Amino acid sequence: MSRLLKFNIFRYNPQDEASVPHMDEFVLEETDAMTLFIALNRIREEQDASLQFDFCCRAGICGACGMVINGRPGLACHTKTRDLPGEITLLPLPVFKLVGDLSVDTGTWFREMYNKTESWIHTNKVFDENALEERMDNDVAESIYELDRCIECGCCVSACGTARIREDFMGAVALNRIGRFLIDPRDQRTERDYYEIIGNDMGIFGCMGLLACEDVCPKHLPLQNQLGFLRRKMGITAIKTLFKG
Amino acid sequence: MSIDSGVLPGKSSRLDGLLDWMQMLSGAGLILFMWAHMLLVASVIVSPDWMNAIAHFFEATGMAQVGGPLIFLLFLTHFFLAARKLPFRLEGQKTIWSHAKMMRHGDTWLWIVQAVSAMIILLMGSIHMWVVLTDLPITAAKSAARIQGGFWFVFYMILLPLTELHVGIGFYRIGVKWGFITDDRRGMFKKRENFLTLAFIVIGFAALLRFMFLSIAQ
Ligand code: HEM
Ligand code: SF4
Ligand code: SF4
Ligand code: FES
Repeated sequence: MSRLLKFNIFRYNPQDEASVPHMDEFVLEETDAMTLFIALNRIREEQDASLQFDFCCRAGICGACGMVINGRPGLACHTKTRDLPGEITLLPLPVFKLVGDLSVDTGTWFREMYNKTESWIHTNKVFDENALEERMDNDVAESIYELDRCIECGCCVSACGTARIREDFMGAVALNRIGRFLIDPRDQRTERDYYEIIGNDMGIFGCMGLLACEDVCPKHLPLQNQLGFLRRKMGITAIKTLFKG
Repeated sequence: MSIDSGVLPGKSSRLDGLLDWMQMLSGAGLILFMWAHMLLVASVIVSPDWMNAIAHFFEATGMAQVGGPLIFLLFLTHFFLAARKLPFRLEGQKTIWSHAKMMRHGDTWLWIVQAVSAMIILLMGSIHMWVVLTDLPITAAKSAARIQGGFWFVFYMILLPLTELHVGIGFYRIGVKWGFITDDRRGMFKKRENFLTLAFIVIGFAALLRFMFLSIAQ
């Protein structure tokens, strides 16, 4: 016999003046290989058509379905109900602007993150579309790829105690982004340039090492190692600039 | 959630990097001091004469008279540096508390233990240092007399575990923040650190009991 799952879901529609934040309860029979993606869609189809939540790829690729699942930020499409207890509480990701119910606007936040980190290759080489592509060492390419796997779901930001108490904190995802360009030989920015962006308490020195980002990242990015690497790198840059003036 | 974005334009600061170094180094200095401190206090378990000899060495070389106030200064420096990271407004405290309760995440709780223990250590540690350093020389008999009064026994029973917790967590934190502990060694390091913290609390407690039952006439 399959379980009856009890869902407690956060409800609030900021567009509607009459709406007050509250929790709604839904009961659903568990099916084989059920994910939260399936469960939420069934609730919307069978019980409450007004329930708001985001999905796109339903395969852990687009990063749209981040939410707080029984206290931990995670991807709804990646979470199987059989790994959860019979009572499941779902909240929208904190830090980001609430669109309604479980849906948040991560887009605006990430857009600003790109601007802030200048998330593109900085080079003065002129692109020649007829030339052969420049070669890159396989190890380097792989380590860049490892950091590029981030799907921008925002879970690491919502899980971060520092980001919760300091709204100007850039979060592990932005720091990881800098780390990605720092090891890319095509990017001509210097350590000093990177220091300008993350060498402060909004950046790497604000991180208090709580490692919730590392523990929740659904794509298992090596955030702990990245943060440690950047702190040492930027710490050394701070000392170097002290002597160079 | 009233804002559109959490990423505001930052400013580079050479100072933030240097302050972070100093926060780490002041913490590391205090850890080393606490280990040395434990050697002095725990020596009474072996024999009060040992403790007297070590204390005498510190005084004869002037280390207690000069080093004591210097440690106090380091202690205050560390407080000012680390306190930059603490939420002193109620709103921030409420946020981090509800965040920890929501997440049920060990390392987030450890940070709260560190922040709360810090405030108590600031107060009790200052009192402790004041009392000891204004009543030099340090001898096992004087310490025993204080502790047998009862008040100081209770006082140290609170200060000891809080300090050891704070030091233990701080040691782990320096390791992960600066990347000395990588992800594959994190679990192992945490286990060892917990064991070390527990061991220090037990040794400290044994020293307190030894003081409690030391005959002062000696
Ligand atoms: C005056 C009272 C104290 C206060 C208010 C205080 C406060 C704090 C706070 C809030 C942190 C966390 C900072 C962060 O995560 O960025 C911290 C870290 C630390 N504390 Fe303390 N502390 C005090 C005393 C001590 C003592 C007596 C020791 C050692 C004997 C110590 C050793 C450490 C260490 C090693 C760290 C980690 C440093 C780092 O993360 O950079 N603290 N302290
Ligand atoms: S680093 Fe991980 S948790 Fe953070 S946004 Fe990227 S994929 Fe999501
Ligand atoms: S390690 Fe740093 S970025 Fe990650 S959750 Fe902790 S404070 Fe936030
Ligand atoms: S729907 Fe795309 S990651 Fe979950």
